[in-house]
Amino acid sequence: MNRGLRASTAGVGIAFGFLITGSGFGNYTTIHQALLLRSWYLFAVFCSAVAVAAAVLMLLRRSGTTRYGGPLRLPHGPIRRRQVYGAAIFGAGFGLTGACPGSAVAMVATGGLGGLLVLAGLVGGMCLRGPTARPAGSQQPDVRADPLPVQPLIRRGP
Amino acid sequence: MLKLLPALLPWWLAGPGLGLCVAALYGLANRRLGVSGAWLAAVVAPIEGWPGERWRVEFLAAVIGGALAASVLGSATRLIGYPVLSRTLPAAALLPVLATGGLALGYGARCAEGCTSGHGLSGCASGSPDSLAATAIFFAAAVAVTFAVQALTGGAL
Repeated sequence: MNRGLRASTAGVGIAFGFLITGSGFGNYTTIHQALLLRSWYLFAVFCSAVAVAAAVLMLLRRSGTTRYGGPLRLPHGPIRRRQVYGAAIFGAGFGLTGACPGSAVAMVATGGLGGLLVLAGLVGGMCLRGPTARPAGSQQPDVRADPLPVQPLIRRGP
Repeated sequence: MLKLLPALLPWWLAGPGLGLCVAALYGLANRRLGVSGAWLAAVVAPIEGWPGERWRVEFLAAVIGGALAASVLGSATRLIGYPVLSRTLPAAALLPVLATGGLALGYGARCAEGCTSGHGLSGCASGSPDSLAATAIFFAAAVAVTFAVQALTGGAL
């Protein structure tokens, strides 16, 4: 795999894991208080994150290209029914556990062993659902993990 | 542990920081940042026997690494991690609640093809209609369930 791709993925992953842990999302109380609408912290983080990302994406769209991944392709898909009820089920789990796939990592990393149970359930639930058929033209960017090297058109000598 | 970080990063640091992560993964690697996809590739794919994208596995490993780093540097460390819940529910009830909640998270994320990071952060930032809808529903459902639980437990939770 392209070294730049790997390094970027790793770098962003580390930063992401660091930030969700440092922002206390691994703490059930932090999430729970927000979902009880008693604390605005979670929403402030969430909204500012989306706002900043959206702003940078506006700039990225203008250049139209990515550093290591070819022409920029942003996800843009229509609402499908299974996503609606999937989201509702996810939300229910989110409310019950005060955790999500990422924050549960933060929880376990900070010693919250309850998060392991949530993660076990997460994997179980995914297996229970089974593979979803991806419709044609799905929203995931279709990036080759290993970009083909550019071949010279004319071979030089023997 | 080392208490080099505050217990809670200020929102104006954490939020924009996360936003930059989302934008960076798009701008550098042309990829949508999402943790549920990473769990799928890393754990579910081997179980179900299909090839999970390697970058997602590496991404998950990196997220775990970053989380551990923050834990070591920071102040917030608690065992079990469910103080209110474990005070209100006996262990016999807490365990199934957490496991069932996790089940819902996994089932729902796979159905929805994303979670609070994939749809919530990355998809919303790119303005994808399905992500915007999914995120609104995530939070509406979470709040509704939270209030329902509060009512059912008479305010204990």
